[in-house]
Amino acid sequence: MRKLAFFIPFALFIGLSVFLFSGLFSNPMERESSVIDKPLPAFALPDLQQPEKIWTPDSVKGKPFLLNVWGTWCVTCNAELAYLTELREQGVMIVGLYYQQPVDAAFGEVFNLAALQQEVALKLEQQGNPYQWNILDKDRTLIFDLGVTGAPETFLVDAQGIIRQHHIGDINPQVWQQKLAAAYQSLQE
Amino acid sequence: MKYFFLSLLFLISAAQATQVLIEFKSPEQQALFKELTHELRCPKCQNQNIADSNAVVAVDMRNKTLELVQQGQDKAQVLEYMKSRYGDFVHYQPPLNKFTLILWLLPALMVVGLMVLLLVRRKAQGKAVVSEAADQAQMQSEPELEQQLDQLIEQYRRKS
Repeated sequence: MRKLAFFIPFALFIGLSVFLFSGLFSNPMERESSVIDKPLPAFALPDLQQPEKIWTPDSVKGKPFLLNVWGTWCVTCNAELAYLTELREQGVMIVGLYYQQPVDAAFGEVFNLAALQQEVALKLEQQGNPYQWNILDKDRTLIFDLGVTGAPETFLVDAQGIIRQHHIGDINPQVWQQKLAAAYQSLQE
Repeated sequence: MKYFFLSLLFLISAAQATQVLIEFKSPEQQALFKELTHELRCPKCQNQNIADSNAVVAVDMRNKTLELVQQGQDKAQVLEYMKSRYGDFVHYQPPLNKFTLILWLLPALMVVGLMVLLLVRRKAQGKAVVSEAADQAQMQSEPELEQQLDQLIEQYRRKS
């Protein structure tokens, strides 16, 4: 009985310590995605550089690809452009989904497509262009339907237009190797 | 210093002037919008609801909530809309499922466990008291010891 009375608080203490200690190494930004294994939500959005061209789920699918949510305003997205370009050179198909931040009318801001096109073209020229094409989501409707919390985020979409992976944060060699490469390869076959 | 505070005052009033007033069809819709924006959680921020946060995603969620409420959707419908996109994470009241069952079970288990422990201890203590009393009774029943004690006392008395 004495032994038990000593052991129970001790076991509780050890259990609590292990629980809290492992919490130190968990990622608080990790989210469970609710779009995995679901088809791309319905959308009809213009191409960023050729706005008369409208992209829909049917016109984007056909080959497995990465759908990369990004913006020129997003520092981390700029940082991953170089590696994504490397992946493109290795034959990975990457489509950009441009995350337009809301314009603040109170500060006299207006959305200027020509200026944005120029900015994007310049950025991609400087940092490398990983994208086959860019879809402009001006009002973030597709971005909202995909459950995107911010930029950069990347979706792995298979040839049938089904979302297979959802990665929050940048893509670097480590993330690609550990999380996405194998899944992308298996979709190729 | 006075001018600094004065200019601060003007700054604040300017900031308040840019707040948008939302018009609702009914006080019920207004109450529902308020309730929802307080219960929905910003997926980008660390522990803020969407009423509290001005992150882009929180503003978008707020606008969407307003749109759905004004369309006449009820609370469950709006929550379902948000959860289907941002997951259970987005609602501050987690549903009861196999992952969250432990949250409900653990407190009950702890109460039961503590009660069992308390009962076991009380029983053990009761036994200890009884056996101690029995020991004492045994001691007193031995006249030899008392005789020895008497002898010892007698010896000391003689010495002094």
